[in-house]
Formats: sequence, C-alpha cells, structure tokens
Amino acid sequence: MIDTVKEVLAECTEEALEQMFFVRPLSEPAAPHSAESPHVVAELNFQGEPSGSFSLSVSPAAARSIAADFLAEEENILSKEQVEEVICELANIICGSVLTRLESRITFRLASPQIVKAAQPWETGQALIQQFHLWNGNFTVGFRTERPVCAVHEYVS
Amino acid sequence: MSYRILIVDDSPAMRAFVKRVMELSGFDLADCLQASNGAHALEVLRSEQVDAILTDINMPLMDGEEFLRRVEADESLRKIPAVIISTDGTDTRIRQMMALGARGYVKKPFRPEDLRAELERCLEVRQ
Repeated sequence: MIDTVKEVLAECTEEALEQMFFVRPLSEPAAPHSAESPHVVAELNFQGEPSGSFSLSVSPAAARSIAADFLAEEENILSKEQVEEVICELANIICGSVLTRLESRITFRLASPQIVKAAQPWETGQALIQQFHLWNGNFTVGFRTERPVCAVHEYVS
Repeated sequence: MSYRILIVDDSPAMRAFVKRVMELSGFDLADCLQASNGAHALEVLRSEQVDAILTDINMPLMDGEEFLRRVEADESLRKIPAVIISTDGTDTRIRQMMALGARGYVKKPFRPEDLRAELERCLEVRQ
C-alpha cells in the first residue's frame, strides 16, 4: 500500500508540474548547484479520512523558475512573496490531487499552505518522501497521515 | 461572441493564471473581472454584468459554497453559469457543488483546453 501511495504522490506531482507549471521533471539529477541557500518550503495540514500533512520543498532557483512559468513573468522581476505564493499554490494543487485519488468517496479539508522558515526536513520513517529533479534544482514532496491510508480508489478523470 | 468572465479566487497568482490560460486556450474572452472571495464577488456582481463565473471553493470571508448559495438565491444572478475550479475533485464534493447550483467543475491540475471546454459547455457555445 505504501508503494501505491508513493506512486500516487509521484503521478500527482508530475501531472501538476506538467499541466499547470509547464515543467517536466528529469529522470536523473541535474548537475549540483553551488551556493544552495535554504529551500522554499510550504506545508499544509488536511482533515479527512485520515488527516495528515503535506510538505513541498523546492530549491531557490527551481522555485523562482516555477513561479516565473506559472505567472508568465521574467524570473528577475518576481518578488520573494510572489515566488512563495506560487509554491504555496503548487503545494495546494499537489496535495488536493493526491487526496482526491486517495479519498475520492469522502470530502477532505485543506488548510491554507504556509511558508515554513528554517524548516526541518521530514524523515523517511515519519512520512512518504518523493524527490524530483528539475533542470535547475531539486524538488521534494512529503506526505504523512496520522494513521495508514487503507484504500486507494480508482481515479476517474 | 465574446464573453465577460468573473474569476473568484483568493490567490492573485491563481487568478492571473486562469485569465492567461483562458486567453491561451483560444476562448473568446472580451473582459475578465476578478474578486478575492465570495463577498467581494457579490459586490462586483452588483455593478457589473458577466456571462460566467469561475470560482474556487476554499476562500476566506466567504467561501465558494456560501457564494454559490447567495448567487442561487438571487433571481438576477442565478442565470449566470458558475464553474468551480478546485483541488478537491472528490465525487462527494462535486455532487455537493452541483447540487448547490454549479453548472461545471474543473479539477486542478487542469490543462488550458479542459478549462475552455468546460466553460464553453456551460455557456452552450456552438463551435
């Protein structure tokens, strides 16, 4: 079941990136980037069956290019707040998409995503973690629930 | 025929994105009005005429559910087709919003052509 949820997490992330952010993850890591400043991290809680939380951590360069693609603006004119707003929106879309597939016969409630300063990375033992590679940085999603997810319903598009 | 659309979403980034994808998709957009929540949207609708409403559900002050209830309760507004754009694509939520009066539903993430198709279906645009 964990593998299934990980697959759903990967599929939903790739779908959101491709359809609304016009970014396609790479199959292998891009060259390491020097001077990695802290990642842009957005987290949100959700209530449903089960409840839990979702985390999205994006390297600064990747966050800026994702925001620029989403807003159709030049990267260098975007403010930090605009970049953070887009990363929050991306977290919201991926989390909602995952929950729609996992909890498709009941409703869930998403809290507003929040940018977390000095975020501690989630550990694999506490959450399902998936890492993606973009041409200019890394992108990690984390999903944890207060109890195991017991059903994955067939997704009907 | 060109259409005036009202986009209701608390995220300025999302409103800008929806406007842009409508244009990119080839939808015949005459004008695009924006509101940051349901209460703001009702204010806009008091002074402006629109052909369709695109609304999020989770918003502060007045969410999409209450906004839809108010639109349905108003004889002059209920004829305007409302399309939900939401991350919540559960069957239960879709049924609930359609029962409240929504004419269409677009789940995020979506492609520009998905949004155009749903909007044109609700507006009964003939190709």
